[in-house]
Amino acid sequence: MIRVQEASFDAGHEQQQLLAGRSDIGAVVSFTGLVRDFNERPDITALTLEHYPGMTEAALGEIVTEAEARWSLQGVRVIHRVGRLVPGDPIVLVVVASAHRRAAFEACDFIMDHLKTRAPFWKKEHSITGDYWVAERESDHRDASRWESENDEIP
Amino acid sequence: MSLTHLNQRGEAHMVDVADKPESRREATASGYIRMKPETLELLSEGGLPKGDVLATARIAGIQAAKRTHELIPLCHALLLSKVTVDFHLDKVNSCVDVVATCRLNGRTGVEMEALTAVSVACLTLYDMCKAVDKDMEIGAIHLDAKRGGKSGDYQRQGAPAAAPIVTGEGASGQVSVGSRCGIDSHCVRVKFLAELREQLGVADLTLPLDSLPSTDVGGLKSALVKRDPRFARLTEGRVLCAVNQVMALDPTPITNDDEVAFFPPVTGG
Repeated sequence: MIRVQEASFDAGHEQQQLLAGRSDIGAVVSFTGLVRDFNERPDITALTLEHYPGMTEAALGEIVTEAEARWSLQGVRVIHRVGRLVPGDPIVLVVVASAHRRAAFEACDFIMDHLKTRAPFWKKEHSITGDYWVAERESDHRDASRWESENDEIP
Repeated sequence: MSLTHLNQRGEAHMVDVADKPESRREATASGYIRMKPETLELLSEGGLPKGDVLATARIAGIQAAKRTHELIPLCHALLLSKVTVDFHLDKVNSCVDVVATCRLNGRTGVEMEALTAVSVACLTLYDMCKAVDKDMEIGAIHLDAKRGGKSGDYQRQGAPAAAPIVTGEGASGQVSVGSRCGIDSHCVRVKFLAELREQLGVADLTLPLDSLPSTDVGGLKSALVKRDPRFARLTEGRVLCAVNQVMALDPTPITNDDEVAFFPPVTGG
């Protein structure tokens, strides 16, 4: 299940819903991304997340489908927030359930790496010294590309 | 319609608001100060002799909003519940955009406070930067929106486009050079997202399909650049493109009624 929303979310509640009535799941991994008060500049007071409605949901769906093809998964939930957020706010949630832990850990990591490089979201950070759009990071592309090789070791 | 600050004899007077009910009032105003690109660069790097320019201008704007009644003769003294002053450094137009919002629960509107905050923030920016640039120009100070009160909500018509740029729609304040697409003619719909939209000053436009030298993304870029040289930005640096919401490259074909979006590299998560 994929959701793009302005409202906040409760990671515990989302995980419970994913697991409700299931006894075939042996492992669940949940990742929550939070808004930091420092990034390219210190003293960030807020950020605004813009997205491309339609394409966002399609891109996230494609990433989840790829993860499901690669690992045997019992359930996936991705929530990404848009709009104005302040430091400490949860911004993204990925919950992955599978029979065994390795698949859940790896699939969650895979989904986040690809979300950061392929899903059409843009962050504008508001800091004490002004507003600016966040630039892409080379390290995010390196993180995503490590899934392409046979060698999945983190460098 | 009449001027509320004039009485029946045409004399200026302060409006008695004692009997007006209290309600939530909010107003947003904006303006800009244009400067040399070198000045803007110094400002963004914190290299100006008077120190942290934007932090100082923000405090100045907030203070000014609180003291509006001392400056504007017939304004009431208000207990503002919120004042924000935000800055956006616009490198394309070489200016700082200033936006102020004021709010309170009370009996009078707060648009004068928001306008005063923008004005004084701009003046402070001038003061902080004048050592290196005396040609700076303050402009377009206006009310964007107000909410609450008897006169109802107000929303300024036409987006606060910093500078005119081509659009296919010809909204007020914008230059229309693109022929609008009729129902019968074949069209391509173009969107610009995030930072690219702000840099180009346009969110979407439509182009007749037959104005493209070749019916693909590359052809669309050439047609746009021919209409306005600013669109050369689309061929500089990393600009991504999607056709019908699927990632595309220059050779990707475009057909009638396709939606083509240009955007910067993504930064979610």
